[in-house]
Amino acid sequence: MIAPEPSAPATSRFVPLPGTAPIVQLRGIAKYFPGVTANEDVDLDVMPGEIHALLGENGAGKSTLMNILTGIYQPDAGEIVIDGYPKSFASPVEAIAAGVGMVHQHFKLVKAFTVAENIHLGWSETPKAVSAAVLEKRTADLSRALNLAVDPAARVSELSTGEQQRVEILRVLTRKARVLILDEPTAVLTPAEAHELFRALKDFVARGNAVIFISHKLDEVLEISDRVTVLRGGRKVATEQTADCTETSLARLMVGREIVLSDMRARSPQAAPIGATVMALDDVRAEDGQGRVVLNGLSLTLRAGEILGIAGVAGNGQKELTQVITGMRRATSGRILVDGADFSHAGAADFADFGVGHIPEDRLHSGLAPALSITDNSVIREYDRPPLSNGLGYNGRAATALARQIAEAASVAVPDFGMPVRNLSGGNQQRLVARREMRIASRVLVAAYPSRGLDVGAINMMMRYLVELRDKGVAVLFISEELEELLNLSDRIAVMFHGEIMGVVDTAEADIDTIGLMMGGKRLAADPRKGH
Amino acid sequence: MAYRIQRIPSAPPSVAFAARGMAIVLALVTAGIVLAALGFNPLALGWQVLRTTFGSSYGLEDVGLLVIPLIFTGLAVAVGQKIGAQNIGAEGQFYAGAFAATGVALFVPGPTAVILPLMFVAGAIGGAIWILVPTLARAYADVNELITTLLLNFVATLMVYWVATGPWLDPSGRALATTARLPHEVPEFWGIVHWGLPVAGVVVLLVAALFAFTRWGYEVRIAGSNPQAARYAGMPFRRHLIVVMLLSGAIAGLAGMFEVAGTVHRLQGGISNNFGYLGIMVAVLARSSPIGVLPAAALMAVILNSGIVLQTQGITVSTVLAITGLILFYTAIGDELARYRIVRG
Repeated sequence: MIAPEPSAPATSRFVPLPGTAPIVQLRGIAKYFPGVTANEDVDLDVMPGEIHALLGENGAGKSTLMNILTGIYQPDAGEIVIDGYPKSFASPVEAIAAGVGMVHQHFKLVKAFTVAENIHLGWSETPKAVSAAVLEKRTADLSRALNLAVDPAARVSELSTGEQQRVEILRVLTRKARVLILDEPTAVLTPAEAHELFRALKDFVARGNAVIFISHKLDEVLEISDRVTVLRGGRKVATEQTADCTETSLARLMVGREIVLSDMRARSPQAAPIGATVMALDDVRAEDGQGRVVLNGLSLTLRAGEILGIAGVAGNGQKELTQVITGMRRATSGRILVDGADFSHAGAADFADFGVGHIPEDRLHSGLAPALSITDNSVIREYDRPPLSNGLGYNGRAATALARQIAEAASVAVPDFGMPVRNLSGGNQQRLVARREMRIASRVLVAAYPSRGLDVGAINMMMRYLVELRDKGVAVLFISEELEELLNLSDRIAVMFHGEIMGVVDTAEADIDTIGLMMGGKRLAADPRKGH
Repeated sequence: MAYRIQRIPSAPPSVAFAARGMAIVLALVTAGIVLAALGFNPLALGWQVLRTTFGSSYGLEDVGLLVIPLIFTGLAVAVGQKIGAQNIGAEGQFYAGAFAATGVALFVPGPTAVILPLMFVAGAIGGAIWILVPTLARAYADVNELITTLLLNFVATLMVYWVATGPWLDPSGRALATTARLPHEVPEFWGIVHWGLPVAGVVVLLVAALFAFTRWGYEVRIAGSNPQAARYAGMPFRRHLIVVMLLSGAIAGLAGMFEVAGTVHRLQGGISNNFGYLGIMVAVLARSSPIGVLPAAALMAVILNSGIVLQTQGITVSTVLAITGLILFYTAIGDELARYRIVRG
């Protein structure tokens, strides 16, 4: 009952016998939502022993398709064939019973429970009335049998994101899933953790199982998958052998046009050169609401016309860093110098007046008032100055005019400026916030995960925004989890770990492995030539 | 073809409006069924209510008198909601405003032209003082204003009972449980309806303009909708919270001032007639819009007046309160349902 077949060595590839039926076959799947064709005429074959990547922009229909395969949605047309037999899943429970399981982007674990408890939660094979020790023993056995190392007695809340993901995967695999669907699994992982995940996935398919790997990161699709299916506008564009693909060819398939995912560090001759220090943090400490130290003696300099990238796994103090350098949070000690003046006790309005724009990490909850109109939200930085206000008044017509101007610059089509801003898609909200902030960012722009949740085309546009500001001589602080983005854009990269800077490297001399090590908490060996 | 129900982020105005209308109709139908079950003829009763209320200037004047405190208390609650504060204490602030205005009228000598404006100011200050402690507790210690404002209602109610039957009892001995008749009163301009009505209208317009056309109003709108966003934009959330809550209390205080100085002319226990609590309903019906308070208060006044008519027909006051409750109930359901639509597939 517990032990699935013993693991084969990861190196040996599973090759299905000729004539073997695909483990999953989707035929002519269609799904319509009001006014939207989410999927139409989609075919997908997944063979045993295969890692099959599903690639597409936001809204290309990847999630809908996988929600249909796992029984969350019912298709409007087409059929699902598992091991050669047509099936219809009324719920995810039926899908997992047929061997199809999914690990979602947002984990569905009970944080206060131990790993063993989470594994056994809602599982028909969980023995009734057992002790924690028995559950932990069973979990340890399963973990060994499936070759996924977890600590059965640990509480989920104490685990790193990578470890939580492993628990999530183990949970699906213990239900005897033979098809594992992963939705952007590396979004939350360090490079090292991602490699570990890839090893586990290869190991899993080597036993004759299959993985469907949803992603919009081209490099990892090339690295991990055997075949790749590209969706665009809800339809299948192509299924290719990954070995025949390049990043450029995949990007072209995905967006339907050529996209330059290239180095944007090169400057045009007209661009402002890297200039004087605009903002400096000197040994800054800060605490979160619960009194935990979240910034621990952090020093950084932001220079005019330079993009400083901040690498690091989310939750290592990046959010508090953005709050401290925009005046939203007071540092408990240390100094913040802005043009040489002490801003340690300045408020958010002072920073904004100085010319600090801020694209916040959580745009909907801190950068916008979701229930208020697009107009109200567009003018939050300029409501207090002409033409919107001459001191006391507020000119609604001028506000709508400004909102229209910002929406046009952001290429966001707005049918009605009185509509609540939450009605806009996430990507459009992000572009609106970015354009709004760029208007006031005359000296500094703080951009926290600006590309999060955007597709390749929109990311490219966002990166161009940052370059545009850099070339105007604005100091840009660019926080991201995507190393590639950081390397393409930043002039220098600082790596954060547990509220500290592990090191600052010039991008030209940076190597990914060193940055990866620093992201995991290894301090950069002191380099006498430059401090940070 | 299968049908599905889909939720949309916000209802189109026409649908929202229709849902409101449906809610009122459904509440009346439900009430009619209950009345029929009790042995009354709902159609005849309805006709009588309509005739008594709208068929004579007396009925309209009664409605005009009832609407004044409802506008003030409804506006008070709506203003609080602009900054995200739930002022359940309009009842208490009503009493405090009436108390302060009565104090000025009874003990400050002077001509009516001077004393009436003074009473107006005293009423506003009285209401503001009554919400001061909940306001500061919310602003500095994050104490839920829902509880504190509610509890202070009982204090205010009992305080007014006590002064009206004790220290301020009519010395002439003609009234047993009220103060003497106030020497100053708000003049009437139409039958029994006094100038409090136009003043209430002006206050509504002023407050609406304050929110729509000032920088301060914009900041309050942002801060009330999402305090995080206000913090992000460097707006002083705490200062706005304090000012708006005090404004809310002051407006509720005005309700008490006009009730005692224009309608009742004596301070007495129970003078509020639940106007403070009914203000919550008015604000909900108005969707917290200051201008919306005007039609919502008018509707509520018509319902209250209908209640008085129904009571003359032997229907208890509880039934009338139940009908107002039904309207609120159906409105809440209607507002939510307006955000759903049925789609094919």
